[in-house]
Amino acid sequence: MTVTGALTILWYALAPFLWLMAAGAALLVAVQGLAHLRGYRILGYRCPAANLAAIAVGLSGLWWIPLFTQSRLAYVTSVFDWVALLGALIGLTVIAWLLLHPLSYLLRGKSPRHA
Amino acid sequence: MSRHDSDPSCLDRRQFLKYGAGAGAAGLLYSSGLQARPLSTQARIVILGGGAGGMAMANRLSRRLDGARISLVEPRDVHHYQPGWTLVASGVWNPDKTMRPNARFVPNGVDWVRQPAAGIDASNRRVELGDGSWLDYDYLIVATGLQLNYQLIDGMTPELVGSHGIGSVYASIEGAARTRDAIDAWIAQGSGKGIFTAAPTPVKCAGAPLKMTFTTLSRLEASGRRDAFQVEFMAPGAALFTQPYINDFVKQRFDDQGVTRRHHYRLSAIDPQAREAEFTFVGPESEFTSHHELREEEFSREGERKVVASYDFIHVVPPMSAPDFVKASDLIAQDGPFRGEWLEVDIHTLQHKRYPEVFGIGDVIGAPINKTAASVKAQAPVVEANLIAQMQGQALSRRHNGYTSCPMITGIGKAMLVEFGYDNDFAFLPSFPFIDPKDESWVAWVMKDRMLQPAYYAVLEGQA
Repeated sequence: MTVTGALTILWYALAPFLWLMAAGAALLVAVQGLAHLRGYRILGYRCPAANLAAIAVGLSGLWWIPLFTQSRLAYVTSVFDWVALLGALIGLTVIAWLLLHPLSYLLRGKSPRHA
Repeated sequence: MSRHDSDPSCLDRRQFLKYGAGAGAAGLLYSSGLQARPLSTQARIVILGGGAGGMAMANRLSRRLDGARISLVEPRDVHHYQPGWTLVASGVWNPDKTMRPNARFVPNGVDWVRQPAAGIDASNRRVELGDGSWLDYDYLIVATGLQLNYQLIDGMTPELVGSHGIGSVYASIEGAARTRDAIDAWIAQGSGKGIFTAAPTPVKCAGAPLKMTFTTLSRLEASGRRDAFQVEFMAPGAALFTQPYINDFVKQRFDDQGVTRRHHYRLSAIDPQAREAEFTFVGPESEFTSHHELREEEFSREGERKVVASYDFIHVVPPMSAPDFVKASDLIAQDGPFRGEWLEVDIHTLQHKRYPEVFGIGDVIGAPINKTAASVKAQAPVVEANLIAQMQGQALSRRHNGYTSCPMITGIGKAMLVEFGYDNDFAFLPSFPFIDPKDESWVAWVMKDRMLQPAYYAVLEGQA
């Protein structure tokens, strides 16, 4: 398969969700940008609650990712099923953390370490 | 009309491809540039049918041939993604999801003849169109798809689908939606008997009758009243599926899920008002395979024993064949298991056995398996290479290995990615080493639900 072929498949697969991906990316950039303007540094701010919330969001994918694909967790059975689902959960957790961590900084104002 | 003229939104996709390819690694771009250079020719090429096979060939040949006069004979404006119809009939997809304008896929430089084909005069290398005019060719690609022969079941017409408890996923996209409604009505009834049938001929997507049974079982189980429903599967032969492992698996799963299997019966008549179906015993010698030999005139001679069964829902799978105008032409198989019913081609080179300027692709060809869109994906590069070799007077070097694929849905939310070919008793040909074709899998379901349609459109565009 050529690069163009792979991109063609990718295009058709992602097209229905482009608006959602664009909205999510815009929200992420907005929150990160605003937080950085107010002094947020990703490694300089600690917030266990944001960390836990990100993990909770990631774990929630166990329920809704199969549901989103019109399936259910009970049908995630093969080794590759779990590899794929765990990959999705990790990605979800990282994205949630990149959003929630600066958001908590904006809401709380200062890092507990700096308080 | 070209896709550029008719579909402005396509520009976005093309830009995406352009910029995406531009951003790709130079090495990868080089690999895509390894495709053969265009061949200069003045040949007249006619492609009959704008389904998966015809559209893929139109796109491939328009890129490979410089100066050729390519005509695509296709009367329909809408392209149907038929592999999605089982999901529509199962209530998983909206029907709209399966439709795209054909204009999106017809390449520039191809003459889109918006008429049905009415005949083929192979000796004089010309095709008759619906308006009575003729289209001459130097090379012909037969990609007509197949014909649904509901009339071979007494009392049955495609218009009945959706009424009187009758469903048939094959009939049309509207038929698939009405099948969904008929299943809804049966489940809402709270109890009753459902009969699922198979056809005594080769059929497109041979897994569809099984998938419809499995997805309906899922819905019955979800209703919480599974025990109130009887489910029967009537098969014309001993087997339910060509691939041996999957055949055994499906039989066992049917047994486990309380599906009563009855073998060697074909649906011969239906009485919609009485909700009764007549089945004719076709005998153990009539082993059901994908290359089962059955001719229309033999239908009336076969039956010795008939069974009449009442039903609350019945899923009808009609006998299938090449379209009548192909059957009436000299291109039809003259002997062997496909005689009188399917296009005669060498199943490896896909070239017609008696008319070397004719090639076949897709459902219409006489082959032991291969009536799926996945088969078209494998066949299209073979037909492209061998047609060009024929034009250049060279030996045909590309061979089709019979690759076909059936994402066997075993329940709403899980599937098996079954890929196999002609050789070694239909041995598996897995595309992904990390997906075991013998395992039910969520990932295989996700591929069916989300990824195969994009891959299908890439095949149409000649990109995959």
